[in-house]
Amino acid sequence: MRRLFWVISALAACFFAADVARAAELQAPQSAVAGNAASIATSGSGDATMYLIGPGGAAKRTVKLGQALELKAEELRAAGRYTVLLSTGEKADFFVAPAKPKQIAFLARPSRVPVAKPGVITGVAFVFDDFKNLVLEAVPVKFDLSVQGTNASETVGSKLGIAWTKMNSASKEGAAQFVASAGDVKVNRVVQQTAGEPCNLHMKIVPANAGEKDTHGIVVETDPIRDCSGNAVPDGTIVTFSLVDAKGRTTVDSRIKKGVARANLPASPGGMVSVAAGVVSGNELHVGGGQ
Amino acid sequence: MRVKRDITRFAVLLAGLALFVAGLTPILRAALAAESGPSVTLKTEGAQPREVEDATEKAIVRDYSASWKAIANGLGNNDLNALDAGLVGFARDRFADAIADQKKTGVKIRYTDKGHQVEAVFYSPDGSSMQLRDTAKLTREVLDGEKVVSRDEITAHYIAIMAVTEDRWKLRSIQEVPNF
Repeated sequence: MRRLFWVISALAACFFAADVARAAELQAPQSAVAGNAASIATSGSGDATMYLIGPGGAAKRTVKLGQALELKAEELRAAGRYTVLLSTGEKADFFVAPAKPKQIAFLARPSRVPVAKPGVITGVAFVFDDFKNLVLEAVPVKFDLSVQGTNASETVGSKLGIAWTKMNSASKEGAAQFVASAGDVKVNRVVQQTAGEPCNLHMKIVPANAGEKDTHGIVVETDPIRDCSGNAVPDGTIVTFSLVDAKGRTTVDSRIKKGVARANLPASPGGMVSVAAGVVSGNELHVGGGQ
Repeated sequence: MRVKRDITRFAVLLAGLALFVAGLTPILRAALAAESGPSVTLKTEGAQPREVEDATEKAIVRDYSASWKAIANGLGNNDLNALDAGLVGFARDRFADAIADQKKTGVKIRYTDKGHQVEAVFYSPDGSSMQLRDTAKLTREVLDGEKVVSRDEITAHYIAIMAVTEDRWKLRSIQEVPNF
Protein backbone atom coordinates (compact mmCIF):
# COMPACT_ATOMS: atom_id res chain seq x y z
CA MET A 1 0.00 0.00 0.00
CA ARG A 2 2.81 2.34 0.94
CA ARG A 3 4.64 1.47 -2.27
CA LEU A 4 1.52 2.27 -4.30
CA PHE A 5 1.27 5.63 -2.57
CA TRP A 6 4.85 6.48 -3.51
CA VAL A 7 4.33 5.44 -7.13
CA ILE A 8 1.21 7.60 -7.43
CA SER A 9 3.01 10.51 -5.75
CA ALA A 10 5.95 10.19 -8.15
CA LEU A 11 3.61 10.10 -11.15
CA ALA A 12 1.76 13.17 -9.91
CA ALA A 13 5.07 14.98 -9.44
CA CYS A 14 6.09 14.05 -13.00
CA PHE A 15 2.81 15.34 -14.43
CA PHE A 16 3.17 18.56 -12.44
CA ALA A 17 6.75 19.04 -13.63
CA ALA A 18 5.72 18.41 -17.24
CA ASP A 19 2.88 20.90 -16.88
CA VAL A 20 5.22 23.52 -15.46
CA ALA A 21 7.68 22.87 -18.26
CA ARG A 22 4.89 23.28 -20.84
CA ALA A 23 3.85 26.54 -19.22
CA ALA A 24 7.39 27.79 -19.73
CA GLU A 25 7.08 27.39 -23.47
CA LEU A 26 6.44 30.38 -25.69
CA GLN A 27 6.44 29.52 -29.34
CA ALA A 28 7.85 32.58 -31.09
CA PRO A 29 7.05 33.12 -34.80
CA GLN A 30 9.68 31.74 -37.13
CA SER A 31 9.30 34.20 -39.99
CA ALA A 32 7.70 37.45 -38.92
CA VAL A 33 7.64 40.32 -41.42
CA ALA A 34 7.47 44.01 -40.57
CA GLY A 35 3.97 45.44 -40.61
CA ASN A 36 2.29 42.03 -40.38
CA ALA A 37 0.48 40.68 -37.36
CA ALA A 38 1.87 37.59 -35.65
CA SER A 39 0.83 35.30 -32.87
CA ILE A 40 2.67 33.42 -30.17
CA ALA A 41 1.28 30.26 -28.69
CA THR A 42 1.24 29.98 -24.91
CA SER A 43 0.32 27.27 -22.50
CA GLY A 44 -0.82 27.31 -18.93
CA SER A 45 -3.80 29.11 -17.51
CA GLY A 46 -4.75 32.33 -15.82
CA ASP A 47 -3.74 35.88 -16.53
CA ALA A 48 -0.25 37.30 -16.96
CA THR A 49 1.30 40.60 -17.91
CA MET A 50 2.99 40.53 -21.29
CA TYR A 51 5.81 42.87 -22.26
CA LEU A 52 6.70 43.16 -25.92
CA ILE A 53 10.08 44.81 -26.35
CA GLY A 54 11.11 45.75 -29.86
CA PRO A 55 13.36 48.17 -31.69
CA GLY A 56 10.48 50.60 -32.17
CA GLY A 57 9.10 50.59 -28.65
CA ALA A 58 7.63 48.62 -25.81
CA ALA A 59 4.09 47.38 -25.23
CA LYS A 60 2.53 46.02 -22.06
CA ARG A 61 -0.80 44.32 -21.59
CA THR A 62 -2.61 41.61 -19.71
CA VAL A 63 -2.96 38.32 -21.58
CA LYS A 64 -4.64 35.00 -20.96
CA LEU A 65 -2.27 32.07 -20.77
CA GLY A 66 -3.25 29.10 -22.85
CA GLN A 67 -4.41 31.39 -25.65
CA ALA A 68 -2.30 32.71 -28.46
CA LEU A 69 -0.72 36.14 -27.89
CA GLU A 70 -1.83 38.29 -30.78
CA LEU A 71 0.79 40.84 -31.78
CA LYS A 72 -0.71 43.61 -33.85
CA ALA A 73 0.74 44.70 -37.19
CA GLU A 74 1.50 48.17 -35.84
CA GLU A 75 3.47 46.65 -32.97
CA LEU A 76 5.78 44.91 -35.43
CA ARG A 77 6.64 47.73 -37.81
CA ALA A 78 10.33 47.93 -36.99
CA ALA A 79 12.61 45.15 -38.22
CA GLY A 80 14.94 43.60 -35.70
CA ARG A 81 14.88 41.67 -32.45
CA TYR A 82 11.71 41.41 -30.37
CA THR A 83 11.45 39.96 -26.91
CA VAL A 84 8.23 38.74 -25.37
CA LEU A 85 8.28 38.58 -21.59
CA LEU A 86 5.56 37.22 -19.37
CA SER A 87 5.20 38.16 -15.73
CA THR A 88 5.28 34.43 -15.03
CA GLY A 89 8.94 34.45 -16.12
CA GLU A 90 8.68 33.03 -19.63
CA LYS A 91 10.57 34.76 -22.36
CA ALA A 92 11.03 34.35 -26.12
CA ASP A 93 13.09 36.23 -28.67
CA PHE A 94 12.33 36.45 -32.37
CA PHE A 95 13.36 38.56 -35.33
CA VAL A 96 11.14 40.57 -37.65
CA ALA A 97 12.39 40.90 -41.22
CA PRO A 98 11.92 44.01 -43.36
CA ALA A 99 8.96 44.08 -45.75
CA LYS A 100 9.06 44.72 -49.52
CA PRO A 101 10.83 47.81 -50.92
CA LYS A 102 8.60 50.89 -50.79
CA GLN A 103 10.99 53.81 -50.45
CA ILE A 104 14.34 54.73 -51.92
CA ALA A 105 16.67 57.32 -50.46
CA PHE A 106 18.62 58.34 -53.52
CA LEU A 107 21.80 60.40 -53.39
CA ALA A 108 22.91 61.72 -56.78
CA ARG A 109 26.21 63.58 -57.01
CA PRO A 110 27.20 66.08 -58.19
CA SER A 111 24.25 68.33 -58.94
CA ARG A 112 26.12 70.06 -61.77
CA VAL A 113 28.58 68.38 -64.07
CA PRO A 114 30.33 69.03 -67.42
CA VAL A 115 29.19 67.00 -70.42
CA ALA A 116 31.04 63.98 -71.80
CA LYS A 117 33.08 63.13 -68.73
CA PRO A 118 33.55 59.50 -67.81
CA GLY A 119 32.42 58.26 -64.38
CA VAL A 120 31.63 61.68 -62.94
CA ILE A 121 28.04 61.03 -61.85
CA THR A 122 27.46 58.75 -58.87
CA GLY A 123 24.16 57.50 -57.56
CA VAL A 124 23.64 55.68 -54.28
CA ALA A 125 20.25 54.14 -53.52
CA PHE A 126 19.24 53.04 -50.02
CA VAL A 127 16.27 50.72 -50.26
CA PHE A 128 13.72 50.88 -47.44
CA ASP A 129 10.35 49.28 -46.84
CA ASP A 130 7.21 51.17 -45.89
CA PHE A 131 8.26 51.22 -42.24
CA LYS A 132 11.72 52.79 -42.63
CA ASN A 133 13.50 49.43 -42.39
CA LEU A 134 16.49 48.88 -44.66
CA VAL A 135 15.63 46.02 -47.04
CA LEU A 136 18.61 43.73 -46.59
CA GLU A 137 17.54 41.15 -49.14
CA ALA A 138 19.14 41.74 -52.56
CA VAL A 139 16.80 43.59 -54.93
CA PRO A 140 17.57 44.86 -58.45
CA VAL A 141 17.88 48.63 -58.58
CA LYS A 142 17.78 50.30 -61.98
CA PHE A 143 19.58 53.58 -62.59
CA ASP A 144 18.55 55.64 -65.64
CA LEU A 145 20.25 58.82 -66.78
CA SER A 146 18.61 60.67 -69.64
CA VAL A 147 18.98 64.08 -71.19
CA GLN A 148 17.71 65.41 -74.53
CA GLY A 149 17.08 62.02 -76.08
CA THR A 150 20.25 60.34 -74.83
CA ASN A 151 19.81 57.60 -72.28
CA ALA A 152 22.14 55.45 -70.18
CA SER A 153 20.89 52.68 -67.96
CA GLU A 154 22.34 50.21 -65.48
CA THR A 155 20.77 47.63 -63.17
CA VAL A 156 22.61 46.80 -59.96
CA GLY A 157 21.68 44.29 -57.26
CA SER A 158 21.49 45.89 -53.83
CA LYS A 159 23.75 44.56 -51.12
CA LEU A 160 22.60 44.95 -47.52
CA GLY A 161 20.09 47.53 -48.72
CA ILE A 162 22.45 49.64 -50.81
CA ALA A 163 22.98 49.83 -54.56
CA TRP A 164 25.29 52.30 -56.24
CA THR A 165 26.52 53.24 -59.68
CA LYS A 166 28.99 55.49 -61.42
CA MET A 167 27.94 56.86 -64.81
CA ASN A 168 29.34 59.02 -67.57
CA SER A 169 27.81 62.40 -68.25
CA ALA A 170 26.08 62.54 -71.62
CA SER A 171 27.37 64.59 -74.53
CA LYS A 172 24.28 66.84 -74.52
CA GLU A 173 23.89 69.67 -72.06
CA GLY A 174 20.69 70.19 -70.09
CA ALA A 175 18.89 68.97 -67.00
CA ALA A 176 19.55 65.23 -66.93
CA GLN A 177 16.91 63.10 -65.24
CA PHE A 178 18.64 60.59 -62.96
CA VAL A 179 16.17 57.95 -61.84
CA ALA A 180 16.64 55.08 -59.39
CA SER A 181 13.92 52.44 -59.33
CA ALA A 182 13.30 49.22 -57.43
CA GLY A 183 10.10 47.38 -58.25
CA ASP A 184 7.40 50.01 -58.59
CA VAL A 185 9.28 52.61 -56.53
CA LYS A 186 10.98 55.39 -58.48
CA VAL A 187 12.94 58.38 -57.30
CA ASN A 188 14.08 61.15 -59.59
CA ARG A 189 16.98 63.57 -59.22
CA VAL A 190 18.17 66.25 -61.62
CA VAL A 191 21.80 66.54 -62.58
CA GLN A 192 22.51 69.71 -64.54
CA GLN A 193 24.88 68.86 -67.36
CA THR A 194 26.72 71.92 -68.59
CA ALA A 195 28.86 72.50 -71.67
CA GLY A 196 32.48 71.53 -71.26
CA GLU A 197 35.59 73.52 -72.08
CA PRO A 198 35.43 75.61 -75.28
CA CYS A 199 36.63 73.83 -78.37
CA ASN A 200 38.14 75.42 -81.52
CA LEU A 201 38.15 78.90 -80.02
CA HIS A 202 38.40 81.37 -82.89
CA MET A 203 38.34 85.19 -83.03
CA LYS A 204 38.41 87.84 -85.73
CA ILE A 205 38.70 91.60 -85.97
CA VAL A 206 35.30 93.14 -86.51
CA PRO A 207 34.11 96.66 -87.20
CA ALA A 208 33.22 98.56 -84.06
CA ASN A 209 29.55 98.83 -83.20
CA ALA A 210 27.80 102.16 -82.97
CA GLY A 211 28.65 102.54 -79.30
CA GLU A 212 32.25 101.66 -79.89
CA LYS A 213 33.00 104.29 -82.63
CA ASP A 214 34.93 106.55 -80.31
CA THR A 215 37.57 103.99 -79.50
CA HIS A 216 40.92 104.38 -81.15
CA GLY A 217 41.64 100.70 -81.00
CA ILE A 218 40.46 97.52 -82.61
CA VAL A 219 37.50 95.32 -81.77
CA VAL A 220 37.96 91.56 -81.64
CA GLU A 221 35.12 89.06 -81.38
CA THR A 222 35.02 85.30 -81.16
CA ASP A 223 32.88 83.02 -83.24
CA PRO A 224 30.04 81.41 -81.26
CA ILE A 225 31.85 79.49 -78.52
CA ARG A 226 30.98 75.81 -78.21
CA ASP A 227 32.45 72.79 -76.47
CA CYS A 228 33.74 69.78 -78.36
CA SER A 229 30.25 68.19 -78.37
CA GLY A 230 28.71 71.29 -79.95
CA ASN A 231 27.03 72.63 -76.80
CA ALA A 232 27.08 76.40 -76.38
CA VAL A 233 29.41 77.46 -73.58
CA PRO A 234 27.25 79.37 -71.07
CA ASP A 235 27.05 83.14 -71.14
CA GLY A 236 29.13 84.70 -68.40
CA THR A 237 32.12 82.42 -68.96
CA ILE A 238 35.30 84.50 -68.96
CA VAL A 239 37.33 84.75 -72.19
CA THR A 240 40.70 86.47 -72.05
CA PHE A 241 42.07 88.55 -74.95
CA SER A 242 45.76 89.53 -74.83
CA LEU A 243 47.68 91.99 -77.00
CA VAL A 244 51.47 91.81 -77.01
CA ASP A 245 53.32 94.66 -78.73
CA ALA A 246 56.46 96.73 -78.30
CA LYS A 247 54.95 98.48 -75.24
CA GLY A 248 54.25 95.21 -73.44
CA ARG A 249 51.14 93.14 -72.77
CA THR A 250 47.54 94.34 -72.54
CA THR A 251 44.93 91.88 -71.22
CA VAL A 252 41.15 92.20 -71.35
CA ASP A 253 38.82 89.73 -69.62
CA SER A 254 35.45 89.56 -71.29
CA ARG A 255 32.35 87.53 -70.51
CA ILE A 256 30.55 85.51 -73.14
CA LYS A 257 27.36 87.31 -74.08
CA LYS A 258 24.83 85.76 -76.45
CA GLY A 259 27.32 83.04 -77.25
CA VAL A 260 30.28 85.24 -78.23
CA ALA A 261 32.97 87.22 -76.42
CA ARG A 262 34.10 90.63 -77.59
CA ALA A 263 36.79 93.13 -76.51
CA ASN A 264 38.29 96.51 -77.41
CA LEU A 265 42.07 96.53 -77.64
CA PRO A 266 44.47 99.41 -78.36
CA ALA A 267 45.44 99.74 -82.03
CA SER A 268 49.04 98.67 -82.16
CA PRO A 269 50.48 97.93 -85.58
CA GLY A 270 52.73 94.91 -85.39
CA GLY A 271 51.14 93.66 -82.19
CA MET A 272 49.82 90.14 -81.71
CA VAL A 273 46.39 89.36 -80.24
CA SER A 274 45.65 86.00 -78.66
CA VAL A 275 42.50 84.56 -77.08
CA ALA A 276 42.00 81.95 -74.36
CA ALA A 277 39.22 80.56 -72.18
CA GLY A 278 40.25 78.57 -69.15
CA VAL A 279 43.02 76.23 -70.28
CA VAL A 280 41.99 76.40 -73.93
CA SER A 281 43.85 78.71 -76.30
CA GLY A 282 42.45 79.99 -79.57
CA ASN A 283 43.96 81.51 -82.68
CA GLU A 284 46.31 84.52 -82.85
CA LEU A 285 46.00 87.68 -84.98
CA HIS A 286 48.75 90.06 -86.13
CA VAL A 287 47.38 93.58 -85.95
CA GLY A 288 47.91 95.46 -89.18
CA GLY A 289 49.48 92.46 -90.82
CA GLY A 290 46.54 90.15 -91.33
CA GLN A 291 46.24 86.79 -89.58
CA MET B 1 58.90 45.12 18.87
CA ARG B 2 58.11 48.64 17.72
CA VAL B 3 59.58 47.99 14.28
CA LYS B 4 57.36 44.92 13.95
CA ARG B 5 54.31 47.00 14.87
CA ASP B 6 55.24 49.66 12.33
CA ILE B 7 55.62 47.04 9.61
CA THR B 8 52.23 45.58 10.46
CA ARG B 9 50.65 49.02 10.44
CA PHE B 10 52.27 49.79 7.08
CA ALA B 11 51.10 46.47 5.64
CA VAL B 12 47.53 47.11 6.77
CA LEU B 13 47.66 50.62 5.31
CA LEU B 14 49.01 49.27 2.02
CA ALA B 15 46.33 46.58 1.87
CA GLY B 16 43.65 49.19 2.55
CA LEU B 17 45.04 51.43 -0.17
CA ALA B 18 45.13 48.52 -2.64
CA LEU B 19 41.51 47.68 -1.83
CA PHE B 20 40.50 51.32 -2.28
CA VAL B 21 42.24 51.56 -5.67
CA ALA B 22 40.80 48.21 -6.78
CA GLY B 23 37.33 49.37 -5.84
CA LEU B 24 37.72 52.78 -7.44
CA THR B 25 39.12 51.62 -10.80
CA PRO B 26 35.93 50.08 -12.24
CA ILE B 27 33.87 53.01 -10.97
CA LEU B 28 36.25 55.48 -12.61
CA ARG B 29 36.34 53.42 -15.81
CA ALA B 30 32.55 53.25 -15.94
CA ALA B 31 32.29 56.98 -15.25
CA LEU B 32 34.77 57.77 -18.01
CA ALA B 33 33.05 55.41 -20.42
CA ALA B 34 29.69 57.00 -19.67
CA GLU B 35 31.23 60.40 -20.29
CA SER B 36 33.00 59.54 -23.52
CA GLY B 37 30.67 56.90 -24.96
CA PRO B 38 31.17 53.17 -25.38
CA SER B 39 34.33 51.68 -26.83
CA VAL B 40 34.32 51.17 -30.59
CA THR B 41 36.93 49.36 -32.66
CA LEU B 42 36.67 49.85 -36.39
CA LYS B 43 38.04 47.86 -39.32
CA THR B 44 37.95 49.66 -42.65
CA GLU B 45 39.92 47.32 -44.93
CA GLY B 46 36.79 45.84 -46.49
CA ALA B 47 35.05 49.13 -47.27
CA GLN B 48 33.92 49.52 -50.88
CA PRO B 49 33.96 51.30 -53.29
CA ARG B 50 36.00 54.05 -51.66
CA GLU B 51 38.91 53.70 -49.31
CA VAL B 52 38.30 55.18 -45.88
CA GLU B 53 40.62 58.08 -45.07
CA ASP B 54 42.45 58.09 -41.72
CA ALA B 55 40.64 61.20 -40.54
CA THR B 56 37.27 59.69 -41.50
CA GLU B 57 38.12 56.48 -39.64
CA LYS B 58 38.80 58.43 -36.47
CA ALA B 59 35.65 60.50 -36.94
CA ILE B 60 33.51 57.38 -37.40
CA VAL B 61 34.90 55.77 -34.24
CA ARG B 62 34.20 58.93 -32.26
CA ASP B 63 30.77 59.60 -33.76
CA TYR B 64 29.46 56.02 -33.76
CA SER B 65 30.31 55.87 -30.08
CA ALA B 66 28.51 59.19 -29.60
CA SER B 67 25.47 57.77 -31.41
CA TRP B 68 25.25 54.85 -28.99
CA LYS B 69 25.68 57.18 -26.07
CA ALA B 70 22.79 59.24 -27.45
CA ILE B 71 20.65 56.08 -27.74
CA ALA B 72 21.46 55.01 -24.18
CA ASN B 73 20.78 58.51 -22.82
CA GLY B 74 17.59 58.90 -24.84
CA LEU B 75 16.09 55.55 -23.86
CA GLY B 76 17.46 55.55 -20.31
CA ASN B 77 16.11 59.01 -19.48
CA ASN B 78 13.13 59.16 -21.86
CA ASP B 79 14.88 62.18 -23.33
CA LEU B 80 13.98 62.90 -26.94
CA ASN B 81 16.49 65.74 -27.24
CA ALA B 82 19.37 63.48 -26.23
CA LEU B 83 18.91 61.64 -29.53
CA ASP B 84 19.94 64.70 -31.53
CA ALA B 85 23.52 64.37 -30.34
CA GLY B 86 24.06 61.31 -32.49
CA LEU B 87 21.02 60.37 -34.57
CA VAL B 88 19.36 61.72 -37.67
CA GLY B 89 16.65 60.66 -40.12
CA PHE B 90 15.09 57.22 -39.80
CA ALA B 91 17.23 56.23 -36.82
CA ARG B 92 16.12 59.27 -34.88
CA ASP B 93 12.48 58.64 -35.84
CA ARG B 94 12.74 55.04 -34.68
CA PHE B 95 14.15 55.83 -31.26
CA ALA B 96 11.83 58.81 -30.86
CA ASP B 97 8.93 56.37 -31.37
CA ALA B 98 10.48 54.04 -28.80
CA ILE B 99 10.75 56.86 -26.26
CA ALA B 100 7.14 57.90 -26.93
CA ASP B 101 6.09 54.28 -26.28
CA GLN B 102 8.16 54.15 -23.10
CA LYS B 103 6.47 57.29 -21.81
CA LYS B 104 3.06 55.83 -22.63
CA THR B 105 3.57 52.36 -21.15
CA GLY B 106 5.99 53.11 -18.33
CA VAL B 107 8.19 50.31 -19.62
CA LYS B 108 11.76 51.40 -20.18
CA ILE B 109 14.84 49.85 -21.80
CA ARG B 110 18.22 50.50 -20.23
CA TYR B 111 21.39 49.59 -22.09
CA THR B 112 24.77 49.16 -20.49
CA ASP B 113 27.16 49.18 -23.36
CA LYS B 114 30.18 46.89 -23.29
CA GLY B 115 31.68 47.77 -26.62
CA HIS B 116 31.32 47.45 -30.38
CA GLN B 117 33.39 45.57 -32.95
CA VAL B 118 32.62 47.47 -36.12
CA GLU B 119 33.49 46.83 -39.73
CA ALA B 120 32.96 49.33 -42.55
CA VAL B 121 31.45 47.56 -45.57
CA PHE B 122 30.35 50.45 -47.77
CA TYR B 123 31.73 53.95 -48.14
CA SER B 124 29.90 55.97 -50.75
CA PRO B 125 31.87 57.36 -53.72
CA ASP B 126 31.15 60.94 -52.64
CA GLY B 127 32.20 60.21 -49.05
CA SER B 128 28.87 61.20 -47.52
CA SER B 129 27.65 57.89 -46.11
CA MET B 130 29.07 54.71 -44.67
CA GLN B 131 27.53 51.34 -43.87
CA LEU B 132 28.80 49.47 -40.83
CA ARG B 133 28.43 45.97 -39.45
CA ASP B 134 28.53 46.07 -35.70
CA THR B 135 28.83 43.25 -33.22
CA ALA B 136 27.86 44.78 -29.90
CA LYS B 137 27.96 43.43 -26.39
CA LEU B 138 25.22 44.93 -24.29
CA THR B 139 23.41 44.46 -21.06
CA ARG B 140 19.76 45.13 -21.70
CA GLU B 141 17.42 45.75 -18.82
CA VAL B 142 13.68 46.08 -19.12
CA LEU B 143 12.16 48.19 -16.38
CA ASP B 144 8.50 48.51 -15.53
CA GLY B 145 8.52 51.74 -13.60
CA GLU B 146 11.57 51.28 -11.40
CA LYS B 147 11.27 47.49 -11.24
CA VAL B 148 13.69 45.48 -13.38
CA VAL B 149 11.60 42.78 -15.07
CA SER B 150 14.34 41.41 -17.26
CA ARG B 151 18.09 41.62 -17.53
CA ASP B 152 19.99 40.07 -20.42
CA GLU B 153 23.56 39.96 -21.57
CA ILE B 154 23.25 40.06 -25.34
CA THR B 155 25.56 39.93 -28.31
CA ALA B 156 23.75 41.83 -31.01
CA HIS B 157 24.52 42.24 -34.70
CA TYR B 158 23.60 45.57 -36.27
CA ILE B 159 23.61 46.96 -39.77
CA ALA B 160 24.09 50.69 -39.41
CA ILE B 161 24.33 53.61 -41.80
CA MET B 162 26.22 56.72 -40.81
CA ALA B 163 25.74 59.95 -42.74
CA VAL B 164 27.63 63.20 -42.80
CA THR B 165 25.67 66.02 -41.23
CA GLU B 166 26.59 69.65 -40.79
CA ASP B 167 29.49 69.07 -38.40
CA ARG B 168 29.83 65.35 -37.75
CA TRP B 169 28.72 61.86 -38.70
CA LYS B 170 25.40 60.74 -37.31
CA LEU B 171 23.55 57.45 -37.24
CA ARG B 172 20.94 57.50 -40.00
CA SER B 173 19.66 53.93 -39.85
CA ILE B 174 20.26 50.98 -37.57
CA GLN B 175 18.77 47.54 -37.65
CA GLU B 176 19.51 44.44 -35.63
CA VAL B 177 19.88 41.21 -37.60
CA PRO B 178 20.17 37.60 -36.35
CA ASN B 179 23.68 37.27 -37.85
CA PHE B 180 25.89 38.56 -40.66
